[in-house]
Amino acid sequence: MPGERPIARNTLLTLGVVAIVGLLLAWAQGVGGAKLNDTLALFAIWGIAALSLNLVNGTTGILSLGHHGFMLIGGYVTALLILPDSARQQISSSARSAMTPFTLGLSVEGAFAALGLQALTTPGTLWVRFLVALLVGGLVAMVFGLIVGIPSLRLKGDYLAIVTFGFGEIIRLTASTSLFAPFTNGALGYAGVPSEFGKSLGWTFALLGITLFVLTKLKFSSHGRALQAIREDEIAAEAMGVALARHKVMAFAISAFFAGIAGGLWVSYLSAARLDFFLFFLTFFFLVAISVGGTGSYTGVLMGTAVVVFVQQYGDPLEQTYPLETWFALVGALVLAAGLGGAWFRRRTRLRPVWHPLTVILAAIGAVVLAVALLAPNWAPFDGTFQAFGMRRILLAVLLITIMALRPEGIMSRAEFSWAWLLRERTAEPSDEERAQDAWLSNPDLNRPGGAADAGGAGDAGDAASTAVGRYDYASDHPSAQGDPLPRALLDEDGPGAHPLLERGSKPRDVQRYGSAGDPAFHEDGSEGAPEGVPEGAASGPDPEDADGAAGDARGDERQDEHQDERDDEGRA
Amino acid sequence: MSLVTTRAAARRIPWGWILGLGIPALIFVRIYYLVAVAGERDLAFFLGAALQAMQLGSLYALIALGYTMVYGIIRLINFAHGEVFMVGAFTSYFLFTLAPFALPWALLWSALLAWGVTFVLNLWRGSMRDPLVLAGGGVAFVAFAAVLSTSGLNWLAAMLLAMLTTGVLGVVIDRVAYRPLRGAPRISLLITAIAVSFLLQNTGLILFTRNQTPYRPGTSWTEFLQFDVAAGTVYTSRLVFLIPIVTAILVAALTLFVTRTRLGKAMRASAQDAETAQMMGVNVNRVIATTFLLGSMLAAAGGVLWGLNFGSLNQPAVLGILPGIKAFAAAVIGGIGSLPGAVIGGVLLGFLENFVTALFPRTGDFPGLTEYKDTFAFALLIVVLLIRPSGIVGEDLSEKV
Repeated sequence: MPGERPIARNTLLTLGVVAIVGLLLAWAQGVGGAKLNDTLALFAIWGIAALSLNLVNGTTGILSLGHHGFMLIGGYVTALLILPDSARQQISSSARSAMTPFTLGLSVEGAFAALGLQALTTPGTLWVRFLVALLVGGLVAMVFGLIVGIPSLRLKGDYLAIVTFGFGEIIRLTASTSLFAPFTNGALGYAGVPSEFGKSLGWTFALLGITLFVLTKLKFSSHGRALQAIREDEIAAEAMGVALARHKVMAFAISAFFAGIAGGLWVSYLSAARLDFFLFFLTFFFLVAISVGGTGSYTGVLMGTAVVVFVQQYGDPLEQTYPLETWFALVGALVLAAGLGGAWFRRRTRLRPVWHPLTVILAAIGAVVLAVALLAPNWAPFDGTFQAFGMRRILLAVLLITIMALRPEGIMSRAEFSWAWLLRERTAEPSDEERAQDAWLSNPDLNRPGGAADAGGAGDAGDAASTAVGRYDYASDHPSAQGDPLPRALLDEDGPGAHPLLERGSKPRDVQRYGSAGDPAFHEDGSEGAPEGVPEGAASGPDPEDADGAAGDARGDERQDEHQDERDDEGRA
Repeated sequence: MSLVTTRAAARRIPWGWILGLGIPALIFVRIYYLVAVAGERDLAFFLGAALQAMQLGSLYALIALGYTMVYGIIRLINFAHGEVFMVGAFTSYFLFTLAPFALPWALLWSALLAWGVTFVLNLWRGSMRDPLVLAGGGVAFVAFAAVLSTSGLNWLAAMLLAMLTTGVLGVVIDRVAYRPLRGAPRISLLITAIAVSFLLQNTGLILFTRNQTPYRPGTSWTEFLQFDVAAGTVYTSRLVFLIPIVTAILVAALTLFVTRTRLGKAMRASAQDAETAQMMGVNVNRVIATTFLLGSMLAAAGGVLWGLNFGSLNQPAVLGILPGIKAFAAAVIGGIGSLPGAVIGGVLLGFLENFVTALFPRTGDFPGLTEYKDTFAFALLIVVLLIRPSGIVGEDLSEKV
C-alpha cells in the first residue's frame, strides 16, 4: 500500500523491538535476580565503552590502547561530583586521606545549592545530579582525548598504538602520585558512590541506546564516511580532500567522551572508584569484543561484548577448585584436540604428510593423558585439587588469537544489522526452468528496446523505450542481477501488488538510481509508479556473489546512497 | 627536489645536539648544585647511582634486543616479549629451587629442552632428518633428564636451561600465533601479540604463583659491597660487575652470530627486505623463528639477572609489563631495528631513569620524583616517538606511498 514505506516499517519494527527489550529488561530487573541484572548492566556499560573504542579502532582504523585512561578520568570525575555528603565526611575524617577541602567541596549538589536550585539537591533528584556529573565526566574525558589525540595522531599504525597505550598508563600512574592524590585520594579512591544508576538497567541501556544511535548516525554521515576513507587508505583519503588530522582528532575526542560516560557508569556499577578498576585489561576486553564482533560494525561489537560479558560473568565454573584428574583430563583433551586439529589443518591446507610427527606425538600424548585421567582417577599422582584463577582471561585471549588467525574481520565484518537484511526475500533455489527463463529474459539482445522480451508494458512507446534502457542498464550491469532468485517474469505480471517486493520497490527514486538519471522522460514515467521498476528487494537482497549474506548485503548497503542508508538506519538497533 | 627540501626542513631543529649536550649539561649542573651548593649528597652517591644505572641499563638492553630484532624483521611490536621475560625469570626460579625433579617432570622438561636443542641443530644442519640432529636431540634428552632428575642447579646452570626453555617458548609463540598472520595487516599482528601477552600473564598466574616470590639462588654475587673513594663511600653489590659482564658477553655473542654466520647474514638480509631475501633462497620463516629464539633467550637471561638484582619477582601478571614497556622504550630511543641502538638505548634509559630519582631526592615537603619513575619512562617513549621516531641510530622509518 502506498503509505507503507520501508522507513515507516523499519521505524515501527525498531520501536517494537525497543519496547520488547524494555519489557524484558523491566522483567529482568524485577524478577530476574541480581546476577542477571548485574550481567545486563555490565553488558550495557562495557557495550558503551566498546562502541566508543570501535569508533576509533574500527571505523577510523586507528589502534588506540589507552581507553582505560579515558574511562578512569570519566569515572573519577563522576564519582567526585556525585559522592554523597556522608561519604565525603568519611574521607575527610580519615587520617589517611589526602583529599583537600577544595576537592571535597567539588560536588554537583554544592553547585546547585550555590545557584539557588534547592529543589535539585534533594535525595529524590539525585538522578539530575548524576546526569550532570556523567556529562561533566564525559566532557573532561573528551578534553583529555583532545590533549592526547592532537600530538599523537600524527603517528600511524603500531607507533600510535604504543603512544596511546603510554598515555593510558601515564594517566593511571599520574593519578596515583602525591601531586594528584588531593583529587583522587591516592590508591584508596572513593567509596560509597551511589550505585543505583550503574546497576539500573533503565539507565545503562538508555545510555547504550543513545551511544549506539549517535555512533551509527555518525558512521553513515559524511564525517563517518571520511573516517572510513581514512581507515581504508589514509593517503588516498587525503588526496580526496579529507582533513586527516581534524577527522582523527574528532573521532578520538568523541570516543573519549563516550568512554568517560562508560567510566562514570562503571564507577557507579562498582559503587567505588579505585585506580585498579581501570587497568589495561578493560581495553583488552573491548579489543576482544571488537575483534570478535567485527571491526567497524557497531552491532557486531555489541555481539562481541555479549560474548566477553558472558565469559566474565558466567565463566566462574572455570575458576573453581577441581580434583587434579579433571584438570589432567582437560589438558589431555586439549592436547589431543591440538594434535587432531593440526592434522585436520594440514589436510585442509594440503600439506603432506597429513600426519606430521608432531601431530602424531601431540595426539598420542593427549590420548594417553586423557585415558589415564579417565580410567584411573584414583591414581596417587592425581590426589589433590587445583584452582585455576585467570582461566576466563585465558579463554578470551585464546579466542582473540583464534579469531585473528582465522577470521580477522570478526563475525559481522563491517556489516551492520539491518531490517532490510533480516527481512530480505528468502526464496528457494530457482528451478532449472526458472533459471532458463531468467537467462532468457536477461539476454541483452532480447531486452533491447522494442525487443521480444521487452514486456515492460508501460504503454506509450517513446516513454517505454527510455524506461527500458534504464532497466536494461541495471539488469545487465548490476552483479546482483546475475543470479537473482526472483524470476523476471514476476516483475511485469499484474503491476503493483502482484508481489510484495514489487510494491516496495516501485518508487521512482530507486529506479532512478540505477536508471538514466538525467532523462526527463524517465522521471515522468517513473512518477506514475513505474511498474517495471527494479524491486528494492533485488537491490538490497542477498548478493549471490558473496557466500555470507550478511556481510555481502551490508557491504552493498554501504555502496548505496544516503536514501538507502536512512532507511536502514531505522533498523539498526 | 621536494625530498631535499623536506629533509632540510626536518633538520632545521638539531634535536640530537640539543638533547645530547643539553641533558648531560643539566645533569651536571644539578649534581654540582646538590654536592657543592646545597651539600645534600656527596659525589660518591652519584657514582653509586651511575653504577646502579649501568646495572639497570644492561637489563633493559638485554630485553630491548629481543624487541628490536623482531621489529627489524617482521615489523611487529612484540607485546608478549615482556611476558617471555617473565617466563624466563620464573623458569630459572623453579629450576634452581625445585631441582632435582621427580622423574615424570624431569622427562617432560628435558623433552622440551631436547626439542630446543634439535631446533638449534636443525638451524645449523638444515634438515630435521639429519642423523646428527636426531642424535644430538637424543643425547640432549638423556643428558637433561639425567641432570634434572638427579642434581640441583646453581643460578648459572638454571640461567642456561631457562634460556633454552624460553627460547623454545618464543619459537612456539611465533609458530602458533604470529606465523598464521604473515602478510596480514600489522595491526592484526599487534592485536595478536597483545592477546599472547595476556595469555602468558594469566597462564603464569595459574602455573607459577599468584604472589611476590623471593629470588635467592644462594650465590655470593648478590653480596653487598662497599668501597671508599675520595669523595666518600659507594654502597653497592657485586652484581655491579656481574650484570654488565654477562650482558656484554651475550651481546658480543649475538653480534658475532649476526655478523659472522650464514644465518646471521640471512637475518640481516631478511631485515632489509624479506621478500627479496626469500627470492635469494633465504628461508625467511626459519630466520624469523631464529630471531624469536635468540630474542627470547636474551630475555630469559635478563629475567635471571633481574631476579638477582631485585632479590624478588613480582607476581606473573605484572612482572613483565613494566620491564617490557621500558625495554621497548629503550629500543625506540636507540632506534628500533638496530642492535647497537638497543644497547645504547637501554643503558641511556637506565641512566636517565636512575638520575631522575637521584637528582630530585625527597627533601622536606617535596616528595621526590621516585613515584614518577615509571611515568618518566612512558613520557620519554612518547616524546621520542613524536619527535624522532627513528631514534638515535635508527634509519628513517617514514611510510612510503
